[in-house]
Amino acid sequence: MTEARGKKAGAAPSPRKATRASGAPKRRAPLRAAARKDASAASRHDPRDRLRRVLFLVPYAVRHPGIPVKELARRCGCTEKELLADLDFLLEVGSPPFAPDDFLDLYVEGDRVYVALHQSFSRPPRFTESEAAALAAAVQALGGEGRERAVKALRDSVPRDRRASFDELVGRIYAGAPPARESVLGRLQRAIAERRAVRLAYHSASRDADSERVVHPYTLAQRFGHWYLYGHDPARGKALAFRLDRIRECALGDERFDPPNEAELARARLFSEAQGEAPSIRLGPLAAAWALARPGVRLVKRIEKGGAIVELAGASDEYATRYALSLGGDAEVIAPPPARRHFEDAVRRTLARYR
Amino acid sequence: MQKDQRLLDLAAFLLKAAEPVSWREIQEQFPEDYGGRGEAAIRKFERDKADLLELGIPVRYDAGDEDLPAGYLIDRDEFYLPDLKLPPEDLALLYLAGSAALASGTFPYARDLAHALNKLSFAARAPGASEAAGLAARQLSAPEDGDGVDVGARVEELSRAIAHVKRVHLVYLGAERGAPTERDVDPYGLFQRGGAWFLAGWCHLRRAIRTFHLSRIVSLTVNASAPRTADFAPRPDFSLAALATRETWEYDVHAPVRCRIRLDPPVPAEVVASFGPRARLAEDGGVTLVEVDATNEEGLLRHVLALGDRAELLQPKGLREKARAVLAGLERGLA
Repeated sequence: MTEARGKKAGAAPSPRKATRASGAPKRRAPLRAAARKDASAASRHDPRDRLRRVLFLVPYAVRHPGIPVKELARRCGCTEKELLADLDFLLEVGSPPFAPDDFLDLYVEGDRVYVALHQSFSRPPRFTESEAAALAAAVQALGGEGRERAVKALRDSVPRDRRASFDELVGRIYAGAPPARESVLGRLQRAIAERRAVRLAYHSASRDADSERVVHPYTLAQRFGHWYLYGHDPARGKALAFRLDRIRECALGDERFDPPNEAELARARLFSEAQGEAPSIRLGPLAAAWALARPGVRLVKRIEKGGAIVELAGASDEYATRYALSLGGDAEVIAPPPARRHFEDAVRRTLARYR
Repeated sequence: MQKDQRLLDLAAFLLKAAEPVSWREIQEQFPEDYGGRGEAAIRKFERDKADLLELGIPVRYDAGDEDLPAGYLIDRDEFYLPDLKLPPEDLALLYLAGSAALASGTFPYARDLAHALNKLSFAARAPGASEAAGLAARQLSAPEDGDGVDVGARVEELSRAIAHVKRVHLVYLGAERGAPTERDVDPYGLFQRGGAWFLAGWCHLRRAIRTFHLSRIVSLTVNASAPRTADFAPRPDFSLAALATRETWEYDVHAPVRCRIRLDPPVPAEVVASFGPRARLAEDGGVTLVEVDATNEEGLLRHVLALGDRAELLQPKGLREKARAVLAGLERGLA
């Protein structure tokens, strides 16, 4: 046993590799070459990063025989090169006594990956405390009826020894207050999971009025600090975004809908493509320092005395005005003309209240 | 042998073992790594054990009894990710919340979050629609340009410092001061507000709890010495949620001042809600009167101005006058 281990670290070709090659004749040779080229890049990373990746990769590939390299790399959040390097690394992994059966049986054929069921790595390890805590923090920021259950389930999925650290860590991330009432969120979650239509009572900010709509809810997503429901509105014949804090009521319908396909989703945006010019705003020196730190703000240029011109891509005229006014007199909307007029109007009307 | 390979081999070995494995046997199986008699080999093994635990792999020592020998083992039940046994809507919540957080580009422990979402597909029976919706959320809200990359790295660094309880040194550009200041901070936590991230912690310069806007941190160094030893103990009275849910007019700038705001109909629920849970509300013929106690009037002024002509500051007089002056100044600039 000890002998085998000793040889393993020796110069290639080691007896181990010979055994491997005969055991898995389909393995392609170029794998190793690709790995070597990438070795310098990989060595810069924490070795634990690779371990975490492969502990997911192995069971995932077992469960999805013949998964394309590209897709597996996407799932693992790495490049194809890195993935090939990982696979190469895995060929070396075994356990004493390092007999052929003590190694992972994996090969790449064409651009597809095959891994035989492995006795030790058939499922990924439990959540680490930071994995579970990050997910729990995200869940608490969204809210919803199942929030307590979900967080408890996450906690139970952390190794027993690490649950105290999980509790500690959850208290150290606060990702925002829930954007909608529990009941509204709970129903939306159920509708998304079951692909059921919902009837919404929705407050439209631009028209300052409530309306009823039937929506096929696809997903929830966050942008610039706000949560949105993204779904298809059959009456309008298009996908739209609805701000969660403007949904007053939500009722589940019986109607089921077909999910959007990938191509549709790839085209999808939370907001329709910015129509025309983005509102631009001139910031004085006091406002510039803070305003630039806000999400969604693009610096166009610096101007005299530490001021700046910025753009708010995709923002409505109303949003641009609110944004400028919130900077306490040190900012004004300058273009395009409709946004400017909106700002001027708001300033005059608001000032009239103080006279 | 490379460390990553050693760790994985060790995990595979212990997972496969039918009974606890003695230290001597481990040494025999890994002679190059843990060979020798010295303390050094044991310390190396202990470090590897700690690394494995950080990966979610708990190696424990069993003292043994009449049936089993003493030694190291990995409990399979403690190792493998269990089924979460959640109803589909709770799974939808996990996928949606996690995906959106990841897509925002800046979230504490973002890499861990990505791993967690991957693992989730194993921990749930037939996630199906939820998983698809989660992926969709990620696609929808992913930042289209490079914005926030820098803040993302800051969040990542600070996340580590918080988890390992390590002190950080900041160069910070405050709001009012033109010049950056340097300080040591015990990082207590990270919170998000209006889409931006803040660090909360004990500031050694001000000798008080302070919050720092991450985009205003010019540079950041984490104390690199003794990485596994905590640098501080957070103050027991600290509450991140209390700090994070402070409204801007509740920042500690001056003594509390009672302020009144008038909101004219129609008053959208989100506008009323924007005054926070501590606001006192009264209705009067469709008009909503809001009363808050401000310790930072300037913050309230800005909030009310942003609401446009549907909101009006009534009291105190001085603040109302200030609102008028700001608007008059803006109006003069319109010409």
